[in-house]
Parts: sequence; C-alpha cells; structure tokens
Amino acid sequence: MRIVIAEDLLLLREGMVRLLTDTGHTVVAAVGTGPGLIDAVTEHRPDLSIVDVRLPPGFRDEGLRAALRLRAADPDARVLILSQYVERAYAAELLADGRGGVGYLLKDRVTALDDFLDAAERVAAGGTAMDPEVIRQLFTRSSRNHGIEGLTAREREVLDLMAQGLSNSAICTALFLAPVSVEKHTTRIFAKLDLPPADDTNRRVRAVLAYLNQ
Amino acid sequence: MVSRTARALAYLLSSVVAGVFGFVWSLAATLVVTLTSLTQLGGPAFLGASWVTRRFTDLERRRAGWVLGSPIGSPYVPGGGRTLSERVRTVAAQPATWRDLAWLVLLFPLGLAGGVVAIVVTGLDLGVSTAPLWAWAVPNPHAPFPMRFLMTTVPGRFILTVPGLLLLPVAAWLLRTLGGLQTRAAQGLLAPGVHRHLVDETARLAQTRRRVVDAQATELQRIERDLHDGAQARIVVAGMTLALVARKLRSRPPGQDGPAAEDTVRAAEDVDLARRQLDDALTELRRLVRGLHPPILTDRGLHAAVAALAGDSPLTVSVQGDAEERYPAAVESAAYFVVAEGIANAAKHAEAARCTVWLGRSGDAVHITLTDDGQGGADPAGSGLDGLRRRVEALDGLLTITSPPGGPTVLHAEFPCAL
Repeated sequence: MRIVIAEDLLLLREGMVRLLTDTGHTVVAAVGTGPGLIDAVTEHRPDLSIVDVRLPPGFRDEGLRAALRLRAADPDARVLILSQYVERAYAAELLADGRGGVGYLLKDRVTALDDFLDAAERVAAGGTAMDPEVIRQLFTRSSRNHGIEGLTAREREVLDLMAQGLSNSAICTALFLAPVSVEKHTTRIFAKLDLPPADDTNRRVRAVLAYLNQ
Repeated sequence: MVSRTARALAYLLSSVVAGVFGFVWSLAATLVVTLTSLTQLGGPAFLGASWVTRRFTDLERRRAGWVLGSPIGSPYVPGGGRTLSERVRTVAAQPATWRDLAWLVLLFPLGLAGGVVAIVVTGLDLGVSTAPLWAWAVPNPHAPFPMRFLMTTVPGRFILTVPGLLLLPVAAWLLRTLGGLQTRAAQGLLAPGVHRHLVDETARLAQTRRRVVDAQATELQRIERDLHDGAQARIVVAGMTLALVARKLRSRPPGQDGPAAEDTVRAAEDVDLARRQLDDALTELRRLVRGLHPPILTDRGLHAAVAALAGDSPLTVSVQGDAEERYPAAVESAAYFVVAEGIANAAKHAEAARCTVWLGRSGDAVHITLTDDGQGGADPAGSGLDGLRRRVEALDGLLTITSPPGGPTVLHAEFPCAL
C-alpha cells in the first residue's frame, strides 16, 4: 500500500515509517501538521492516510478535523485515525458520513502488528476499523438495553467484532468458528436487535454502531 | 528644624479654622441626614454627606502630611453596590465613615486648644525677643519693678531679648510637640484601620489562591501533554520495535528443527509477552491521565467532556446547555469531576435510571446542575462529596446537594466566572 502518515512526534513518525516499510508498505509522505496532510494527500493520492488526532498548532483534535475535511473534499479518501485515547464522540463524527474507509484505533494497537495491518488493509479497501475500546464504551452504555441483554455470550463476541468492522471470514478466524456458524450468529443477532439484515460490511457496522449508540 | 517648626505652627493655626468648619459641617450634616432619613431622601442625603465628609477628611489627611512628611493613607474600602440602598449599606458599614465624623467633631476642641497655645507661645517668645524693636512705642511708666526698667530703658529692652532668645528652642519644641500630638490623633482616626487591612488582606489571599488553583490546572494540563508526547509515545515506539522483533523471529527460514528453532519460538512468545505488558502500561497511563485531566476536556471543552462521560455511563444521561461555551481551565476541570462523581453516585448508590446535567453561564457564575431520578438519601458529608466540595470551594464556588429519602438527588455547583 502507498501510505501517508501525519504525526507530529518525530519519534512516533519514524517508528511508524519503519514499521510500515518493514512490513512491505510504501510511505510516500510523512508530515507533521493538518495542512501538511491535506497537501500530501492531494499530491500523492495514497491508498491510506494514517493520522494522529493531535496535531499542531493547537494539539487538540486538528488531525481529526483535517481527516474530516479530507473526506469531505474527496469521498474516496481512506483515513485511519490513531490516538493515545479514544472518545466515542470522535468515532461518531468519523462514521457520520456513512461511507466506509475510516478507522479509529488506539496507538497501542499498532504493536499488535497483524491485527493492525489487517485493520489498515480493511480501511484501505473501504471497510471500517473501530477500536475495541470504542466498542467497549458503547457496550457499557447499552448494558441496560433490552436487545443486548438478550444476546448469548458468543453472540456478544460476534457483535463486538462486527462493530469493529471485521468481515464474516475475519470473525471466523478470530473466534475459531466455522463460516456457517458465524452466519447463523449474525442472522440471529440482527433478528434479536430488530435490525434489517445487511450483507455489506460497512452497512452492517453502521447499523450495529447506530444501534449501540442510541 | 526651622521649617519643621514652621510647618507645625501652620498646622496648629490652620487647625483652628478647620476645626470650626468641621464642627459646623458635622453638626449640619448629622442634622440634615437625621431629618431626611425619615423620608425618601435619606439615602441620597447620607451618600452626599459622606462624600463631602470624605473630601474634607482627605484635605485633613493632606494637611497632617505637613507635620508627618507624607499624607495619611486613604482608609476607604473600594466597592459599592448596584442599588442605592446597597451603596448606603456599604458606606455605612465602613468604620472609616464614622471615624471621619469623629475626627471632624474632635478637631474643634483640639484645634482650638492647640491654636490658642500656639499663638500664645509664639507671640510671647517672639514679642520678648524683639522687645528693642517695639517696646519704645508702648510707654509704660507705671509698670512695677523690674518691668519698668526692662520696658522703658534701652539696655533693659536688650536684656529682655536674652531670655526670649534662650527660650526660642523651647518654644519651637513645644510647637512641634503639639503639632505632633495633634497629627497623631488625626492618624488614629483617619489612617486605614483594622477593617481596611483585613479587606486588603482578604483580597490579596483570594487572588493568590486563585493563582495557585489556576497554576495547578495549567500544571495538570502540562503533565497530561508531557505524558502524551513523552512516556506514552516512547512506550508505543518500544512496542513497535518489539512487534518487529517478534515478526522477524517468527519468519526464520523453515526447515531448521531442533532446540535452536524451539528457542526462537519461545523467544518470539516472550517478546510478544513483553509487548502486551507494555500495552498494559499504556492502559494504566491512560487511566491515570483521565484521572488527572481528561484529554477531551483540553480538546473539546467541558460540554463535550461531559457528553463523553454521559456516553460512558450505564445511565441515560442527557446533557443540556451551550455546547460551544468554554470556561477557565480550573473551572472546567472542577466542573468535570463534579459531574463525573455525580453520575457515578447516581448509578452506584441512588439506583437511578436517568440523570440530567445542565451546564451554563447565568449572571456572573457558571452553574452545573445534576438531577437524577434515584432514591435519594445521599449523605452530604460523605467522603466523595466532601472532596468535591473542597475542590469547588477552592475556586470560591459553592456546592449544594439536596437528596431527600425517596429522591430526587439534585447536585448543584456554582463557580464565579470572573476568573
């Protein structure tokens, strides 16, 4: 993949470049600011941009804002936001436009290399990658919800992975389940939560997150 | 010495005039204010009278400066009120108002006595010392001995100047002492008293405390940022390195069985373990930072941070108020922890299902109100609420809680926002 990195800390920027290069990807540009990101993306048209939430000058959520601007200007821009902490509100903002190709992960997830690269590829392919921490926050919030209470432990696990943006085959691998049983679980979950069935992963993620977020 | 004596003399003499005016003014003012106090005009009359009195005593403070070297400082406490009655009350409540009046009354006898003594002493001493110049014009043939000799003959008149000149320093000392005594009395009544000092000290303490609290809030933000850019970033980078190491260990060329390969597999597992331990360290750090100063508070402000809290809560929490409004860092931080504790209590102790948070500015203050539908009965002296109260009071705020058995519990915090 051709990747643009926006990260203001030199240490992390270099670490990311090395990590991605070592795993066979090409980092076409590594910048330190929001405007720099927009310029680099306009110039290189990468397969994926990996963006830190906090960027200069304010060191607040400039990265997130730049990413949203990027996606508003170019619907095909794929952005994976990395952050030292995750906030449900930021996740909601990223997902608000209803298109795939976004991800929101804690920086620590980078070190679980295979999962991280899977997530990056998923986002680059137009899918979604939500941090398990976001999903955990959503589950806490929905713990009194009727539909969630009716799920079995296994169905909750499947729902968790669906919400993170994993496809059925990825869920099979993660939970060591047969494809048929994953499909059975997803159908039953959608029935129990009273959601319309959705085969497309992006629509599925959106439906599940919207359900958890209500 | 000569100039000091002259200034003391000028002070003593002018005190006579000032005393007369002061006495007349204080009598008239007291009379008018007392009479008008029965009508609507009492307030304005009192304020007007005290305004004139203050100008008068300001002149007195400057006049005392002739003897003291510098004027007496002003004792009035700044401030006032919006309405007339508030202003009357603040002026009347100041001891300086009544001490001014006391001085104007006291100045009359003091000034008169001092003035008479000053005139007599000065006149007598200067008269005797300058006898040769004027005694010839006052023929006094019937004066008894020795006055007749001293007054009517030229040598006698020159002899008179001797005690006059000898007593000159004594007369000067007397004038200075009298002037000193009178100005000390003036200082006693006109200088800033205990009240003014206490008011000044209170203002100073409030200001320094505010600075401490502000500095603390800024410091916490700085620590949060330092951890983010420093320790947390370094741990992530170390994790990245370990991840690459584990990957390399696993991708050794196949076909090498035996103890060496097993070692490699075990080493990869250990590296993975170390990486997960670093993840745990990051999780710990994240929790610590959230407890110090939640990052979203810096990024998005109080409203967004409270909305995030609401989202994390198992309760249905609705957040109301102006979402864009930002407040001083210290207020945002304290308010955040009030809401956090309030929501946690509602869920834990009150068995509430819903909670409403209202945030906003009203008048000169930032208000935070939390209302839940729980069973109430919270102990206002409990340790959690007590900690919150200290936090709020450090900002001159006010925390109130009403929690009757059966509910609802209402937690209200108020911060002055002139911070």
